[in-house]
Amino acid sequence: MIPNPLALIAEITHRCPLHCVYCSNPLELAAVSSELSTAEWIDVLQQAGKLGMLHAHFTGGEPLARPDLVELIAAARAAGLYTNLITSGIGLAEPRLKALVDAGLDHIQISFQDSREDSANWIAGTKAHAHKIELSRIVRRYKIAFTVNLVIHRQNIDHLEEMISFIEQLAPERMEIAHTQYYGWALQNRAALLPTRVQLERAVEIVAAAEKRLAGRIRVDSVVPDYYGRYPKACMGGWGRRLMLINPAGKVLPCHAAEIIPDLTFENVREQTLEFIWQQSPSFQRFRGEEWMPEPCRSCDRRAEDFGGCRCQALLLAVDAAATDPACSLAPAHYIVEAALAEANSSAAVSQPAPASSFVQLQRQARDLWSYRTNPE
Amino acid sequence: MPPPEDSSQPRLAAGCRWGAENRGTENKPGNEEERVILFPEGAIKLQGTGRQVLERCDGQRTFAQIIAELQAKFADADPVKIRSDISQFLEQLRHKRIVDY
Repeated sequence: MIPNPLALIAEITHRCPLHCVYCSNPLELAAVSSELSTAEWIDVLQQAGKLGMLHAHFTGGEPLARPDLVELIAAARAAGLYTNLITSGIGLAEPRLKALVDAGLDHIQISFQDSREDSANWIAGTKAHAHKIELSRIVRRYKIAFTVNLVIHRQNIDHLEEMISFIEQLAPERMEIAHTQYYGWALQNRAALLPTRVQLERAVEIVAAAEKRLAGRIRVDSVVPDYYGRYPKACMGGWGRRLMLINPAGKVLPCHAAEIIPDLTFENVREQTLEFIWQQSPSFQRFRGEEWMPEPCRSCDRRAEDFGGCRCQALLLAVDAAATDPACSLAPAHYIVEAALAEANSSAAVSQPAPASSFVQLQRQARDLWSYRTNPE
Repeated sequence: MPPPEDSSQPRLAAGCRWGAENRGTENKPGNEEERVILFPEGAIKLQGTGRQVLERCDGQRTFAQIIAELQAKFADADPVKIRSDISQFLEQLRHKRIVDY
């Protein structure tokens, strides 16, 4: 008997007013016309509750782009789930926030791109920063948990201390300092985002110091940069072990990126129940447990800790979803990650653009530097 | 951040709450019933003393009252140890931002 999943990641739309260059959404975004209806989502949330899941994470794209979000939060809460809204905050003014809280929203997580307005807007490809600050102040009037998420990379990591002080002023319970993970748009823009080893080491020290200084006031959670790690991350806590993700079109995936794995077929909530998919679908079975593992994972002491790392990263880098994650220093394909690191640390690497005095100037420079996330049809 | 003082009034932090009954727990007949506290990105299962402590963290009772109640309830245990254990427990949960005091 497979233990129940713990959490549902509800990617309710891929529409987004931001165009962040580090977005981990798939390059092939789900079309607006394919999105699940309100009734379909409510049914899924009820199933998730019955399956014994504890958390529902509403994300996207920008979940606020769905006009029925209040209804969905209420349905999740009624199904016994803890509700988390992962958002840019664009599309949220106080009346709607109040409606969400009244519907049972437990936790809001707002992403920031930088502490400096021009740079933040440049990374997001739109002017969103000032609104996020304003919204953060409003959020603090309500009794919900508040997390500020900051994705760090080559372009902003040098003023990490400043960014942490900036977040501190927003007074969240929690801050998440996340190194960019290289999937989707982020992988496409990797050369402009991957930090140098020197940048990384400095950042690790700064995060550790902040964690200590803020203990008891703000919890600091950090997402490690797996390219520089010795061992891979335990992606999603293991394939099909804890989480189910439903994409805007109703496809049920073990993680954000799984759709890119070519030989897997993913069921849709329009045709199958969550319970059936969790227990029986071949896609969830495919990398469960240890049977599928190649060497060196199969005989590795760490196989029950990191589960061989990330299947999608193995596919993206080693072109084999069943390979050891190339981020692992023991992986046969580790040379691919080493090559990326060598490039990032070479003097010829894409560096930061010359300091620009305005968002417009930054945008002009950005044309050759990276591609912004687009929007689904 | 210091441990709670006698006059502190421990409570669940914003956005942390008890889960619905039987949710995420493995209650077997004969065992003391587990309950779960939900918080951003996680959940903790509680039974026994841990559960007794957190059920009293209602923002009304003071730390001193909570200690006194549990010292009375567990009269066989060393009262000094009860106090230090609970103090440590609450401090840890504060660091995780599950409890405020």
